[in-house]
Formats: sequence, structure tokens, C-alpha cells
Amino acid sequence: MGPFNTPWLTFLAWLVAGACVVFSIIWAIWLYKPQENDDE
Amino acid sequence: MNSTYLYAIVIAAYLCVLILIGLLTGRRTKSVEDFYIGGRQIGPWVTALSFVAAYFSSVVIIGGGGFGYMFGMSTLWIGAINVLLGTMICWMVLGPRVRQFTQRLNTMTIPGFFGERYRSKFALMFSAVIIVVFMIFYNVSILKGMGHIFEVLMDIPYGYGILLASIIILFYVSIGGYLAVVWTSFVQAWVMGIGLVLLTIFSVRAIGGIGAANLNLAALDSGLVQTPGIWGWPGLVSFALIVSFGVWGMPQLVVRFYSIKNLKVLKIGTVIATIGTCMALLPYFNGAIARTLFPQLGNPDLAIPILAKNVLSPLGSAVVLAAVVAAGMSTFASILIILSSSVIDDIYRKGFQRQVNREKILFWSKVASALIGTISLIVALKPPALVLTLTAFAWAVIASTTLWPLLLGIYWKRATGWGCAASMVAGCATSLAWMAAGKPFGIHGFIPGIIIGGLVFVIVSLVTPPFPEEHIQRIWQAKSKN
Repeated sequence: MGPFNTPWLTFLAWLVAGACVVFSIIWAIWLYKPQENDDE
Repeated sequence: MNSTYLYAIVIAAYLCVLILIGLLTGRRTKSVEDFYIGGRQIGPWVTALSFVAAYFSSVVIIGGGGFGYMFGMSTLWIGAINVLLGTMICWMVLGPRVRQFTQRLNTMTIPGFFGERYRSKFALMFSAVIIVVFMIFYNVSILKGMGHIFEVLMDIPYGYGILLASIIILFYVSIGGYLAVVWTSFVQAWVMGIGLVLLTIFSVRAIGGIGAANLNLAALDSGLVQTPGIWGWPGLVSFALIVSFGVWGMPQLVVRFYSIKNLKVLKIGTVIATIGTCMALLPYFNGAIARTLFPQLGNPDLAIPILAKNVLSPLGSAVVLAAVVAAGMSTFASILIILSSSVIDDIYRKGFQRQVNREKILFWSKVASALIGTISLIVALKPPALVLTLTAFAWAVIASTTLWPLLLGIYWKRATGWGCAASMVAGCATSLAWMAAGKPFGIHGFIPGIIIGGLVFVIVSLVTPPFPEEHIQRIWQAKSKN
């Protein structure tokens, strides 16, 4: 059983949403580099 | 103060803000490009939050609460997949290329992109007609949802409720076009976020904490807290996919990538949209909590309205009502612009090859949005049984028709016009037939539609001649002259 009496598989849904927010920030800062000539 | 009056005051104030935005943006809408895609000058906050608002209609908030009520906490996964697949990956995969390619091909609509990318008038016309027909059905379902909210929470008769909402929407869409839609949607996203967060805080407090909510739900039925729980994998997975992957083919959402200012702005927009979409988990969560507080509700769709009325003050409840109405209005308005552009620019101007000057297109686009909105309103006042059945098909049919031609059109150089046309027909026909057969095995029609559509696209493209190199060069490597 995970936090708040939630089964882990159900609790994972909250974690997935949170992880998406973190990853989108990482992607925007470090991973995605639009080229100058891409910026139309 | 009587709560009905309070609701009326909050809703009236909110509607006045929308009218004001319509008037202000109307002054800035001077060209067809402004009317359809805001002149491709929309910033990250407005693009991202208007995407979120258009994504979640009142059907999702009320229906999501209903799903949470019926199936419990496993439905949180629908919201989580919305964030992961429907927003984050969608923005990363589609956003940059859709923005670049549509500018290179000088197209303002999804069917217009198909017409240019695949040099196919059939793809242009078929997708435009499917979008127009099924989007009208979808709009009818949104209006119906709003009408019932007015009826249940404010005691306003169904017909008057949707009449009021439609007139306001038609006003600001006809005057301000896309700019009015994105700016009103921006405000509506904030109203939705505040309303849902408020409801969540007070409903958790009312039940005695999240842990208590789970214990109470498990006491009713352990399947209400487990995943996949009482819904089962086929239903849960296929529904999560249609409302997440299906988004990739929904024109009212994809058009946000056409209109964003540039690719640097798109990076910021991706983060904002991902954070904003997290509110998708809340209707399901609140619906599940409502199950423990009010286990005997006759209609699951009443879960959110009843919860709001019971755990919030009248003012808080009015904000939730405004949030639900906002969700419906933003989606309805976004679809009106898509419908107007499909009818005037895709079907009339390009499909029938009419020479019309830009001022006339702008004028007729405004007239078309008003007319189509009025038709949706008239149908929604007393929807025939067939229309009600077809509203359930709308997302599946549109996504099955447009998703692969869009995705493969920006990532696969070998994709051909024949592949696109065959995929559109096969995907559309399969999803329609599957839904008409009563969703065998509990699987949503989108799943077979998208599988068959994808297979047909690849096979037909591989056996038909590729495009000349100059056409591919133009799309992949040409630089804008602007």
C-alpha cells in the first residue's frame, strides 16, 4: 500500500503527472534547442 | 444572499469579461490570418492555457466526475495520461514541426495542410467534411452539457441556459475570431483551475483527508481504489488513449501550434501546458470522493455539482459553476473557428476553387461562425436521437481520420497522397463501424480506427510513387521568406 492508503499502482498516476512537469522543464531548459533558422 | 442570485452575479460578471475581451480583440482582427490563427503571434501563456481550456470541455469536468464516481480512483490514470500523452509528448512531438511546416506551406487549417502536404484535393475535402459534420455533433454535446449545468445549479431552464451561453460565444467569436477565442480561453483556464483546486481542497477536508477517502472507498468496494479496479484494463486503457492520443488529431487543439509566435515561445508553452493539464486529475479525484460522501446518487454526472453545493460556500460553489461553464464555452468557441475556416477556406475557396479576395473571406468567415453556432444551438435545443448517438462518435471519427496524416505528414518523407487518402477513409470507416457495433470487448472505436488507419497509411504509401524530391525539399528544408 502506498501513501494515503492508496495502492501503489493507483498512486503512480499522481507520480506520472508530477514527473511530466519535471521532465517538461528539463526538456525546455536543456534538451530542446531550436536552431536559429528554425525560428520562422 | 440567495445562492441562485449569487450564482447569477458570478456568472454575469464572468460573461461581461468575455464580452469585453471580444470587443478588445475585435479591433486587432484585421486579416483572415488574424481571424483563423491570430496572425501567428500568440505568446506562451495564452497559447498553453487556451490549449488546456479547449482540451477540457464541461463534458470532461462533469463526465470526469461521473467516471470517478462510478469507477473510483483508477480513473486518475485518465488524467495522468492526459498530462503525459495528451499534452507533454503532444507538444514536444507535434508542436515544433507543425509550427514550421504550416508556415512553410502557408496553410492556416488542418485540411489545408493535408491539401498542400499531400497535394491532394480529396484529403483536403474529405477531412474538412468529416471535421465539419462531427465537430457540429461535438458542439451539440457541449451545449447540452452546459444547459444541464444551468438547469441543475441555477434552476435556469435548459433552453434559456444554452441560449445565453451561445449568444455570448457567437458575439465574441464573430467579432474577435481566434484572438478572442484564445484570450477568453486563457481567462477560462484560470477560472477552471481555481474552481477545481477550490473544490478539491474543500472536498478532501470534508471527507477527513485523502487517506480517509481511500479507506471509505475501499470499504464500499476494494475495486474503487485499485487499478484497473472495477473498470478493467480494456475500458480504462482505450478511454485514456482516446482522450489523450486522440488529441493529436483534434483540429481545435493542433491549431494552437500554428498560431504560436515562434519555437522559443513553444518551449515555454510546453511547460505551462503540462502544468495546466495536471488539473485533469481533479474531476476524477473529486468524483471518487463524492462516491464516499453521497453513495446513493441516481446519476453519476451529478457528482461534481452535488459535491460543490455541499462542501463549498455558495460563493465557492458559484466559482465551480463558472468553471464548468467556462470549460464548455472555451471548447465551443475553439471549435467554431475551426468549423468556420473549414467551410469557408477549405471547402468553399480551395475545394471548389473560388476566387475570393481576402476581405470577403474574412467577412464570410465571421458569418459562417455565427451561422454554424446558430445551427448547433438549434439542434441542441431538441437533439434528435441520431445526433445524440453520433456525438459519442465525434472524437473517435475525427482523430481516426486526421491523426496519421498529420503525424506522418511531418515525420515521414515517404508518406504519399494515396496513403493519406486511404488511411483517412479506412480509419474513419473502421471507427464508425466499431462504435456502431456497440464497442465490442469494451474497446473504444478510436483504437481499431487508429490501428487500421495507420497500417493502411504505411502499406499504401509504400506501394505508391513517392513525391518528387523538390516537393519534399520545399517542406523539410525551405526557409520562410517572411
